[in-house]
Amino acid sequence: MLPLEHLQTTMARSVLAMEPVVAANMLTAGKADPLARLRIYQNNTRSSLTAALMAVFPVTVRLVDERFFRFAASEFIRRHPPVESRLARYGAGFPRFLKTIDTLSDMPIVAETARLEWAIAEALDTASLPPRNLAEYDHTDLGLSPDIQLQPSLRLIVSHWSILSVWMAHQQETTVDENITWTRRPERVALWRAGNYVRLFLLDRASFAFWHSLKHGFGLEHATGRALALDPAFDLVSALVRLFRDRLVTDARVASNSPSN
Amino acid sequence: MSSMFSPLAIPASAGIGLRSPHISEMLTRRPSAGWLEVHAENYMGDGAGVEALERLRQIYPLSVHGVGLSLGSAQGLDRDHLERLRKVCDRFEPDLVSEHLAWSVADGAYLNDLLPLRYDEEALAIVARNVETVQETLNRQVLIENLSAYVAFADSSMSEAEFLAELVIRTGCGLLLDVNNVQVSAHNLQYDAKAFIDALPAEAIGEIHLAGHATNHVGADTVLIDDHGSRVPPVVWALYQHAIDRLGPRPTLIEWDTDVPILDVLLGEAMWADMLTASIMFNRKQAARREQTTKTRATPIHLSVQSETTTSMPVLAAFAAARCARPCMSVALVSIEEEYHAAA
Repeated sequence: MLPLEHLQTTMARSVLAMEPVVAANMLTAGKADPLARLRIYQNNTRSSLTAALMAVFPVTVRLVDERFFRFAASEFIRRHPPVESRLARYGAGFPRFLKTIDTLSDMPIVAETARLEWAIAEALDTASLPPRNLAEYDHTDLGLSPDIQLQPSLRLIVSHWSILSVWMAHQQETTVDENITWTRRPERVALWRAGNYVRLFLLDRASFAFWHSLKHGFGLEHATGRALALDPAFDLVSALVRLFRDRLVTDARVASNSPSN
Repeated sequence: MSSMFSPLAIPASAGIGLRSPHISEMLTRRPSAGWLEVHAENYMGDGAGVEALERLRQIYPLSVHGVGLSLGSAQGLDRDHLERLRKVCDRFEPDLVSEHLAWSVADGAYLNDLLPLRYDEEALAIVARNVETVQETLNRQVLIENLSAYVAFADSSMSEAEFLAELVIRTGCGLLLDVNNVQVSAHNLQYDAKAFIDALPAEAIGEIHLAGHATNHVGADTVLIDDHGSRVPPVVWALYQHAIDRLGPRPTLIEWDTDVPILDVLLGEAMWADMLTASIMFNRKQAARREQTTKTRATPIHLSVQSETTTSMPVLAAFAAARCARPCMSVALVSIEEEYHAAA
């Protein structure tokens, strides 16, 4: 008799491999064939995880059609099953996996769109903190280069492909022209959670660098320097007003390395 | 730690599983539902659903039902997942916490399904150790749910019911009796469903689950699939009646996870569970009263002091009818009732 851990490993491989490596005489199922019954677990695992991926990547499903998506998902599940039981975290590696599929080699926009959808899923599962108002800082000395904290759900994605345009085109129920040629055009996307939804915007290079620096805690001075290096006409005041207006700022404080601190 | 919520005990009546399509309606309509149950894993992040549940928790008693702890894993518990469960319990302060007698993690993979154990001493020691770890971490008793199964292990040395009974003795855990799971497993593995229920320690059963299942025909094999995708079928209601007859009223949950219907259908199923329980208890009291009367007539010198029945079937029926007649309840609910009356 196998030790329990060995037995469970064997069963798990049977369930994921879609072929019974467990010996039939280890199982019973009334008068039924136990190996046929084992397929119920195989189907449950595959179909429930495929459904989880389809829920996270709905536009990707439409881009490749559902049958192909199911095939790709099935392969992904077999090779990269979840490592934890929190399914909201399952699928992070799926966009990268799509890049390795030969059939999709001439459609790089599929994996790139999947990358955007994963960022959306992450944002939807992240806290939305109370936003701060610009007026709250009217009488506060924040020093010359304050630290600005942004919503933790903010995700910034840069792609060589027009991923936001693709994503937007698939938000309506209407059929998207299959012959449409998605252009190789860099897009810089910012997205964050607002209640039950995400807000998505295209950013120019300078604004993207500005937001990116703030998000990673480099402070206002560094962020402004990055933005100005890319666009000497970068308007810092407008950029700050926009961050507050979009309810993205959750805190502003004197920088920890500031001399005034 | 100070409590965020006022304590709301789960009553021995029916509640519903909270599913995302219903959250908005639950918040705006606040329908009469005894209590709510959520899957712990859906509330381990920080999304909008978590914020909504914090608001609902102010109104409804809550049960947290884990589906991913894999209590039967020989490799032991995922401590990170257990810590996430602890945070969910700290955050929402549920009245009940439950998990499954199953495993879903092995060989570094999470299978997203609940697989059966080989019921023997080795497995019992592993599950008991894991349950004790969970109870110590959460600092509370947890309820362990019986499984719906499609296969069993030839080398099992005890039945699932015997395993659960022994687990209760060793760990002090409670039990969650899933009546639909009993029906599914008993059919698929060919044992007596009522005998399974009768073999469980009644006092340990702190909650009951009810759900629908699908019937699949594969060649000569007719297999019941625990899909939680339809109304509670008559055969499960009959088994529930048997359970309530033996146990008395228990918090009872209507589970519906696939093809989730409109909220009123769930509420209608919950109401039917309440009425069935009330009917059983009413009949029991009537029978006791009749027996008492007979005894009194036979021995007139023995005075009987029977306490007044506090709940009677006509009152409950009127209450249920009033709930049906409320404008917020749809016409569909009435037809559900009719359907069940017809089936009964």
